[in-house]
Amino acid sequence: MGEKLLEVKNLTIGFPGETGMRTVVDDVSFTVGYGEIVGIVGESGSGKSMTVQTIMGLKNRDAHILSGEILFNGKDLLKMSDEELSKIQGNDMSMVFQEPMTSLNPVKKIGWQVAESLKIHTSMPDEEIHGRVVEILANVGLPKPEELCQKYPHQLSGGMRQRVMIAMAMICWPKLLIADEPTTALDVTVQAQILQLLRKIHMEANTSILFISHDLNVVKEICQKVIVMYQGKIVETGYTEEVLYHPKHDYTKHLIAAIPRNMEDIREDDLVMQAKDLNVYYSVKERGIFGKKENKHVLQNVDFYIRRGEILGLVGESGCGKSTLAKCIVGLNKNYTGTLDIREEHPQLVFQDPYSSLNPMKKIGWILEEPLKVHGIKDKVKRKELVSQMLTQVGLDPSYADRYPNELSGGQRQRISIGGALILNSKFIVADEPVSALDVTVQSQVLNLLLDLHRTHQLTYLFISHDLNIVRHFCNRVIVMYLGEIVEEAEVEEIYEDPKHPYTQLLFHSILTDERKLQKITDVEQSREDAAAEGCPFYHRCMSRSDMCREKRPERINLNPEGSVPHWVKCFKYQS
Amino acid sequence: MKYMLKKITTLIITLLLVSVVTFVAFSVIPGDPALAKLGTYATPERVEALREEMGLNKSLPERYIDWLQGAVHGDFGESYQYAGVPVSELINQRLQVTAILAVMSFIIILVIAIPMGIVSARKEGTWIDVFINLFTQVTMAIPAFFLGMVLTYFFGLTLKFFQPGKFVMPQENLGACIRYLIFPAVAIAIPKIAMVVKFLRNSVLSEVKKDYVRTAYSKGNRTKKVLYIHVFQNALIPVITFIAMVAAEILAGSIVVEQVFSVTGMGRLLVTAISNRDYPIVQAVVLYITVIVIVINFIVDILYQFVDPRVRTE
Amino acid sequence: MKRKKWNYNLTIGLILTTIVVLMAVVGHFWTPYGPTDMNSMLKNAAPSLAHPFGNDNFGRDILSRIMNGMGTTCFVALCTVGIGVVFGTIIGAITGFFGGWLDEIVMRLNDALSAFPSVLLALIFISLLGPGRNNIIFALGILFIPSFARIVRSEIIRYKELEFVKSAQVMGAGKLRIIFVHILPNALVSMLTSATVGFNNAVLAEASMSYLGLGVQPPEPSLGLMLSDAQAFLQIAPWYAIFPGLTIVIIILGFSMISEGLRVYQAR
Repeated sequence: MGEKLLEVKNLTIGFPGETGMRTVVDDVSFTVGYGEIVGIVGESGSGKSMTVQTIMGLKNRDAHILSGEILFNGKDLLKMSDEELSKIQGNDMSMVFQEPMTSLNPVKKIGWQVAESLKIHTSMPDEEIHGRVVEILANVGLPKPEELCQKYPHQLSGGMRQRVMIAMAMICWPKLLIADEPTTALDVTVQAQILQLLRKIHMEANTSILFISHDLNVVKEICQKVIVMYQGKIVETGYTEEVLYHPKHDYTKHLIAAIPRNMEDIREDDLVMQAKDLNVYYSVKERGIFGKKENKHVLQNVDFYIRRGEILGLVGESGCGKSTLAKCIVGLNKNYTGTLDIREEHPQLVFQDPYSSLNPMKKIGWILEEPLKVHGIKDKVKRKELVSQMLTQVGLDPSYADRYPNELSGGQRQRISIGGALILNSKFIVADEPVSALDVTVQSQVLNLLLDLHRTHQLTYLFISHDLNIVRHFCNRVIVMYLGEIVEEAEVEEIYEDPKHPYTQLLFHSILTDERKLQKITDVEQSREDAAAEGCPFYHRCMSRSDMCREKRPERINLNPEGSVPHWVKCFKYQS
Repeated sequence: MKYMLKKITTLIITLLLVSVVTFVAFSVIPGDPALAKLGTYATPERVEALREEMGLNKSLPERYIDWLQGAVHGDFGESYQYAGVPVSELINQRLQVTAILAVMSFIIILVIAIPMGIVSARKEGTWIDVFINLFTQVTMAIPAFFLGMVLTYFFGLTLKFFQPGKFVMPQENLGACIRYLIFPAVAIAIPKIAMVVKFLRNSVLSEVKKDYVRTAYSKGNRTKKVLYIHVFQNALIPVITFIAMVAAEILAGSIVVEQVFSVTGMGRLLVTAISNRDYPIVQAVVLYITVIVIVINFIVDILYQFVDPRVRTE
Repeated sequence: MKRKKWNYNLTIGLILTTIVVLMAVVGHFWTPYGPTDMNSMLKNAAPSLAHPFGNDNFGRDILSRIMNGMGTTCFVALCTVGIGVVFGTIIGAITGFFGGWLDEIVMRLNDALSAFPSVLLALIFISLLGPGRNNIIFALGILFIPSFARIVRSEIIRYKELEFVKSAQVMGAGKLRIIFVHILPNALVSMLTSATVGFNNAVLAEASMSYLGLGVQPPEPSLGLMLSDAQAFLQIAPWYAIFPGLTIVIIILGFSMISEGLRVYQAR
């Protein structure tokens, strides 16, 4: 690849605090060559964001650069004046951020925002600028670029906004593109498209890319070299394959470590719940006295069951209705028709966000006692005893009962949530993305806890997740949902080895490193309107569709009629 | 367009509702206006005759329609205090005065508060900001009428820039009137300046923390450009609705301050009318002020959709 | 390097408020001189050692009158806040949590009312009810309910969708328990801030109304009344107006600094 475009030497950044200087980036050195794609991997607190934002020249007033150099094209960025830096920013070096919605100015048109860099760095006439804007919007895969220029960010979907951001960053053909977690906030299938786009840009313009992520799998997709950061220091660097398959540092090994596998199958024959013809609605009222009340049909014709002792995985992208289903099962949403037969008392729910799942004003002990209080256990001593026991069971010292949630880390809070769900001796737990908001290394700890509890208490889980890798190792069986319908349902190995439904195929191929399969997919993002229409909800994105798919809704078919566990698919392809 | 139509219908409905409430509120006050007018020595027959004449024996809805018809034409009946003088005459004279006072206050506020708010936000943490903060804290705590007295003492009595109590009507001498009104305008303005500065400062500071500002810098924008081109429009949006409230507060402030400076405006008229239980005047002034406030809110709502494209394209 | 981290707003605010409250409470039972004792020899006397704030046109000690008047002002403001908080919490909690048509109506009313400054609405009330201390309390109290309800409502709505509330629902906690035991403690800071702002508005409104002669009526003491009396003597005895005015400023300043100081705890 070639000489160095970017050379970071001994960069150290700190924040002054009450006990002295707190170092967040510690003696970091690395290089990015011309035309190279380098990844930086790390969890929260690793210093990766701080490093790249400093490279980009985005100053944080409180941060002190204690030492080091950042050589870009041979010149030290840290010694440049604001004026000189401004000439480089957006021009030779640009950045794409994580949250496309808030990263775009809500009151300026898309065309204006994309054109801005050209206006700042060149003296091109307006018509030429406009032409370039339209050209690059088309280049990043956006339909009807002329119309798009007149729209505002809130009128676009997440994937489209991220493409706009990429267009904005590329319009001056920078030598270096810094992408800070560009796909983290996006659905899996959209993520695959964005990665494809970045690869295309790299190929066409030979732009170097510095790609930051907490997700090793994503980095594996696109980066030639990878740098692993932990608590401000670089712990390992090298070619991606090398680092991932032969990690040297303990932390890297930890990061790559296998997701806990569910080795035992403790499933019994009787069922913990069964849903038949479940149609769930969600009433939305428009603002104002004259607002119309709309009953949104969120889940359609849902049929499934869960066996006692089973870990059933539920996967799907945003808007497919998995949270609504979870709420239905635990009794938070009673607006449905059909049967929902739950044979376990008090199914409990473990939530995703550790920061809002515990009441910030109450002590941990109080939070855990509350379910007991509500269910009539009046004996204070007994309650405290049960709380102590539960804390130990979830791996925390009983003294934690006196702490407040903000004193606990994300992983610890999730343990408390799990404890709260179990304290009523409930055997059926619905876990809605329980580890999605946690750092990778913490994820395995919490998953291990869930597995232990599963084994010792013979629990049944409905495990909702968008992380297909976790689901593969953790669950016995999987349900795939799309726009409110279950499109496929089968044992986990069956579905991962050979997905049958076109959507499942799209989903799983998005996580596999299979260049050829990805190239076949010219995907369009889903929209809510598809669901209401006649015919199969996946029609608009399906590669194997036929006319019948547009007119009629497929019924579900069992591809495994002789086996003990059915393999359900809702697709006309499999109709004999 | 649909937005406009919805807003206009809401406007008309609100105005009608307000008129009903105002009318009904003052009609249920005990006491007989005819008796009050004629005095305690009037004979029952004369009282009855006057009641007929004043239309007091009609039903409530009928009286409301009568009143409303009159109101639309500016006719609110006659004052109780000043026998025979139509309310509308009293109001029209004073309306101009209060209007001039309010506009002057408004201009003073905008001209001083907006730059101050922006400077305070830009220089956050520096001594300028601290000083401005202190200044706004203190001035917000000063009641407008007390400030008026202080101004009267210094500028009127001590420095003799104006003669307290000697208010000149605009019809007589517009220049002298305006010169006089500067002081009450300042008295009303200063506490409100503090409010606007604080609000604007907070709005700008919270905008500056947002992600799109970071993006703007990453494209090579310099600070000044970022602030004025990107941030200002976003920061202004909440301020616009705030300004409607400021306008209403100015009207309220004028009620009290007019008393301090002996300005013959609507405020003073209202206060004397309340003290003397001159209900036709009270009713009329309340209606006027209410309508003005509602219309200001309406204008702000309309302005809103020009500034915030998210509203426009809903 | 150690940075000064004390909350200067909160501290100074609390000091000022304590002084105010002390003076008001003490003033209710004892003042240096009788507040209505006239002394023809000290008519409009300037501040002196014996009378630190001077004397009014009847020779009465201004300091004593101020201490007396503070009591009224604070009492009116306190009652106003009390009424607003109690009813506002109930209305805000119910509309915020349950929504529905009740919420729509209350919101609309609230929107309409909030467009009007409180002084104006208070004047309308007074014109219907007549002046007097209790009427003022009634008027200002009723007028504070909507803005307080709005704060409570928006806090409840904000917390309602958070996961810990859903958790409480799933585990079977009753709705009232959720509102008052789970959600409201989180809203305390906002409510306190709103209450201090309401207090200040009430002080301002009462002083203005009394100044206009439409509020507290003599012989009940009031800072606003003192100011209106003082106006005639502004040239010869400015202290007559300045000290009551400054007192009002200090009362309001104290509470507003407390609410500023509390803002830090509201950081999300």
